[in-house]
Amino acid sequence: MISASGPNKPKARSFRTKLLVAMMLVVSGLMALALYLAQRHVTAAARSNLQQNFQAELLSLDKMRELRNATLAERCGALASRPRIHAALEDNALDLLYPSAKDELRDLMETAQPSQAERFLRAKFYRFLDPVGEVISPPVPKDVGELSPKAEAQLTLERLPKTQQIGYILETPDATDEVVDEIVAVPIFSTETGDVISALVVGFKPFELIGKAAGAGMKSGIWLNGQLHMPSLSKSSQAALGSEIAKTITNSDRVQSNFRVNLDGAQQLLFYKRLNPTSLFPPAYEICVYPLADSVAQLHRLRWQIGSVGVLLLLGGFLASQFVAARLSLPVEKLAVDSEKDRAQRKRAEIALASTSEKLKRSTRYSADASHQLKSPVTVLRVGLEGLLHRDGFKPEIYEELSALLHHTHRLTGVIDDLLLLSRMDAGHIELDSKPVNLSQIIEEWLDDLGALPDSPEVKIEKQFPADLCIAGEKRYTSLIVQNLLENARKYNRPGGLIRVTAVRSNGEVVLTVGNTGHPIARDAQEHIFERFHRGGTGSHISGHGLGLNLARELARLHDGDLRLVRSEDDWTEFEARFLIAGQTYDGATQTT
Amino acid sequence: MDARRIVCLKLILAIPCISALADTAVEGRVALPKSHSAPVQAKRYEIVTKGGVLSTQPPLAVVYLDGAFPRPASLPVKQVEQKDLTFVPALLPIQVGTKVEFPNLDDTYHNIFSYSPAKRFDLGRYRPDERPIPSEVFNTPGLVTLRCDIHEHMRGLILVLDTPYFVMTDTDGRFRLRGLPSGRYTLKAWTNSRTTREQPVELKNGETLHVDFQ
Repeated sequence: MISASGPNKPKARSFRTKLLVAMMLVVSGLMALALYLAQRHVTAAARSNLQQNFQAELLSLDKMRELRNATLAERCGALASRPRIHAALEDNALDLLYPSAKDELRDLMETAQPSQAERFLRAKFYRFLDPVGEVISPPVPKDVGELSPKAEAQLTLERLPKTQQIGYILETPDATDEVVDEIVAVPIFSTETGDVISALVVGFKPFELIGKAAGAGMKSGIWLNGQLHMPSLSKSSQAALGSEIAKTITNSDRVQSNFRVNLDGAQQLLFYKRLNPTSLFPPAYEICVYPLADSVAQLHRLRWQIGSVGVLLLLGGFLASQFVAARLSLPVEKLAVDSEKDRAQRKRAEIALASTSEKLKRSTRYSADASHQLKSPVTVLRVGLEGLLHRDGFKPEIYEELSALLHHTHRLTGVIDDLLLLSRMDAGHIELDSKPVNLSQIIEEWLDDLGALPDSPEVKIEKQFPADLCIAGEKRYTSLIVQNLLENARKYNRPGGLIRVTAVRSNGEVVLTVGNTGHPIARDAQEHIFERFHRGGTGSHISGHGLGLNLARELARLHDGDLRLVRSEDDWTEFEARFLIAGQTYDGATQTT
Repeated sequence: MDARRIVCLKLILAIPCISALADTAVEGRVALPKSHSAPVQAKRYEIVTKGGVLSTQPPLAVVYLDGAFPRPASLPVKQVEQKDLTFVPALLPIQVGTKVEFPNLDDTYHNIFSYSPAKRFDLGRYRPDERPIPSEVFNTPGLVTLRCDIHEHMRGLILVLDTPYFVMTDTDGRFRLRGLPSGRYTLKAWTNSRTTREQPVELKNGETLHVDFQ
């Protein structure tokens, strides 16, 4: 045991290492999963949080805009009902349009000090569009809010709209400054015909998102005509971000979405939403950039937490694995030792078996070859002797001699046949073609033949078996067994002796017993009588070659039966052969045939 | 009764100067679009706008002889009343230089104004008892759309013509223009603010020419 556990120590250690590695793998896998899920959760939460904020801001903005636009629509409705506006438009007196509208729209224009509530309702400028959508130039631009020709050109529409249109224009009050104005085009319907006769375009300062919920880092702006206007960013950042937005917007037809951007080295989440869907004016998008610093920090914190939990887990796992491995490795070690021993034993047995099988094969082949080699010369010999025997002119004692020689060749043939059969059996070449065989009939036949044999001592024959005793077997081999037993019973009998043959059914078997009187087999020879070329210590005057019993037993076993010596003492020797009853398998189950 | 007497007097006074032309006239019919509205009183019609085109309802036409005629020293004053929140008559053809008064016969304020290129004016808000009656002299030929700043639906038309020879058709489009000078002229028929049909005519002394506008 001590010598066996020596080389198994490293094995136990390697088992422990493997256990540890597996645990580490599981723990790190779990950690990675947890990290991944947490990261997703945090990112999604931040995104949805900011999105909600953005939506809420836009919603409030929308509400304000709706309110303002409703007010504007009402104003334009009132305006359209003014006879002077109609007169100016219908009577080709466009120069009188602005003066006529001036009183009506006076309070729309920004005053010096608008109240907080009114601020969003104050217009920066307004213009009328003529029936083809062109801007009607005001006689005194100061009164209606001055605009550069370039900005004024942006108010033009392809046709007069039937509904309110929201648009955005870019105004450059001076060379360096850029201002985005929100414009609302409101149709003016003729009170008589219901046709759109003009449109009032009012310009406002765009609503600004306050971003109070998202913290101070939020930046908002408007993306218009491929350019971003976000005054809180530097020009270059605006240009870079603008082109990125342009790429996203042209690639997808979504009205709103969000994506991650990198602004001045910081992660930001950018939201965009079209401000004027279905408008006749060029599309404009509200852009909101929220810093992700909070969520990045949160993620960082989470990463640390999960990391330390993982390390603790690993540590605990290491200790636990030490303990478990110590407990587990004892039986495992034992198992390893045992299995090692088993393996060695099995190897030895396998080698032995292989060599035995090889030997057996060789010997079988040898006896098969030998039998074949012997058979032809014996046949030649016999034919020669028979030829001589039929010749005339020899002395009578020569004929006697020849006849004896011929008899020996017949014995030789018998030995060779038996050897051949045995070697075929050893090689596993014989398969029983099992059929019901009438054992009683075979016994009767052989008993008849016994009497006809020469040199047979006078013996009395007792037989006791039913008439139709059928066993499972092949007739010629069954017959060989019976012949062998009966011949032996006669051969080793004494003059005036007895042969008793009985056969009974017992437990799905047929038990054939053949007993005879005569000199018993010597006690020390009894256990060898079934070996090949062994003769039970009897005198050499009895014919036989020492193969018969061996062959009979092998054949009986081939029949799933057996042959054994029951007893041999006091002038009585008795053999017993067992066969399966016809229609019975080896395990005794009844077959339906 | 008094008015008729004045007209008779005027006609008598006019006889010596137009006696030489007395017999020359044009008569005929202007094809007018069918009116789908219910028939109204003969004298009552209104101005309607359809696709930016102003016309009378039921349709009427003004037939006049185009040409350069000497302007008389004085012209009679015409009136467009504001009655029941409408202009009466809704369409008034006048010769250039005619003074038109706009008496307010309603119980409410009116504010007559026009942004038309032929005449821009604004009489301001005035009450029925405003005296003198607010008036304007129309010196440029063309169509003048009258509106009231207080009553947006009110529309009136004054067709300022360069000729003294003009007449309004009846609702069937029939007209008769008398006392015309002989010679070659263009006879025109105004049917709405966008459409004025014309035909060349040769007027012979004492004859009545028949002209139909299709």
